[in-house]
Amino acid sequence: QDGLKQCLAEFRQQLAWVERLDVTLGPVADPVSQSASASDAVDPENDFQREMSFYRQAQAAVLEALPRLRKLQVPTRRPDDYFAEMAKSDQQMQKIRQKLKSKQEAMERSEKAKQLRAMRKYGKKVQVEILQRRQKEKKNMLNAVKKYQKGLTDKLDFLDEEQTSSQGNKKGNASQRTKKGPNAKRRYKNQKFGFGGKKKGSKWNTKESFNDVSSFQSKVAHNKGPGKGGRGGKGGKKALNKRPGKRARQKMKNRAR
Amino acid sequence: GKWKNKERVLIFSSRGINFRTRHLMQDLRTLMPHSKADTKMDRKDQLFVINEVCEMKNCNKCIFFEAKKKQDLYMWLSNTPQGPSAKFLVQNIHTLAELKMTGNCLRGSRPLLSFDPIFDREPHYALLKELFIQIFSTPQYHPKSQPFVDHVFTFTITDERIWFRNYQIIEEDASLVEIGPRFVLNLIKIFQGSFGGPTLYENPHYQSPNMHRRLIRLSVAAKFREKQQVKEVQKIKKKGTKVLVEEDPTEVVFETPAEEKPVEIQLVKPESKPIVKDKKKLRKIQRKKQKKLFRTEG
Repeated sequence: QDGLKQCLAEFRQQLAWVERLDVTLGPVADPVSQSASASDAVDPENDFQREMSFYRQAQAAVLEALPRLRKLQVPTRRPDDYFAEMAKSDQQMQKIRQKLKSKQEAMERSEKAKQLRAMRKYGKKVQVEILQRRQKEKKNMLNAVKKYQKGLTDKLDFLDEEQTSSQGNKKGNASQRTKKGPNAKRRYKNQKFGFGGKKKGSKWNTKESFNDVSSFQSKVAHNKGPGKGGRGGKGGKKALNKRPGKRARQKMKNRAR
Repeated sequence: GKWKNKERVLIFSSRGINFRTRHLMQDLRTLMPHSKADTKMDRKDQLFVINEVCEMKNCNKCIFFEAKKKQDLYMWLSNTPQGPSAKFLVQNIHTLAELKMTGNCLRGSRPLLSFDPIFDREPHYALLKELFIQIFSTPQYHPKSQPFVDHVFTFTITDERIWFRNYQIIEEDASLVEIGPRFVLNLIKIFQGSFGGPTLYENPHYQSPNMHRRLIRLSVAAKFREKQQVKEVQKIKKKGTKVLVEEDPTEVVFETPAEEKPVEIQLVKPESKPIVKDKKKLRKIQRKKQKKLFRTEG
């Protein structure tokens, strides 16, 4: 130990800083990196961390040294018209540039391919959706035409593009007791089975109908609700719950039309 | 200005170096304009001959690369007349010519030297730092040097080794690109004299590459031996636990040997079986017959 110190004392040259240009500094504090305690123990196995610590150390040195050099009037920036031999030949630099370019091109190509694939997928999806929509519209149109043919609706509104549902409100006062037209159940069955169209798969479950839990009533399922309108409770809306007889129903139907 | 700091570094090697070392040497020569080259030294000569070579070339510092077994590279850094010298093991060499090193600098421009603060903490590191400074810094106003400062050498201590990197300074705000070369120095010993003399410091963490390879081989061998041992133990276990059961005299009492049948030799070929096309049909017919019988019985 002492021998070392002695040797160092003998060996050390007293030169001006500008001759030696040495800086001893730790690395620049990294805004992105970990806390101060962890930054001391740079894991040498972690290549990226290690190289980044070297990089930051160099940066700290540069940030310190350049102002000093400027003060001492030592030039640091090479003027643009100063041509001199470089450490690596121009040929070498060309090779490097080529390699970088080829790498970038390869990356771009792969990116483009990926994007194309994604776009094609999306395009296909959109196309399918459009076709389905057109088919649906066609079906609706045909249904409306058939309805008109069967004489249920005497309006030719379906020929127009946009059909508003505001027409129904006018009839609201006349038949407040009953719902407009046929019963909800009747309407549902008409929609499902009536007026031509594909009937083969109509009784089968589709994904949507299977996942549709809107007709689930918790109280009914768990047998908890008031039983069938509350026996002994208010005999309330008798008109809605009690089904009128055949004649009465027909009369209602005719009146509604 | 006048060139006052007369440092000259002799960079050469022994025989038996491989291409990477040769390129590293050439790179160092291009980066340091105050260096001189020399022919390869014969292995027979002793190391202190190098001092004489240096004196002949009028150099006061020396970087000597020594290659052993065509695998290990040792580097000597020395202050030739009387000063200290240090021997290192060099690893992880990447040269200037590698395409991943994209920076470039003027040939002969003066480098900025950047050291880890750990260099100031230990006396041996302080000595090494002084040695690095004197060897690697280009003297000001050297005739072959360029006046600009556009690259920086970094010496960092990580994992008990000294890591060397060379970066090009692009902008004043310290954005850097690596130029190369890069290597890792593992300190072995520091001597008081040049290529000899009493040992000032010996690195306790240093393990010679031979030792390293030997340990790897031993560990592999040890694993294999362990496996063998485990196998043997298992074999013994399987054999060992067999209990001898005494012969029971009453065992033989109920044994009745089978009747001996006369040996029949077939002289005529047996009739071939009728080929059944539909086995199920046969079974069906059989079942129907059985049912009929059953019905008639019942």
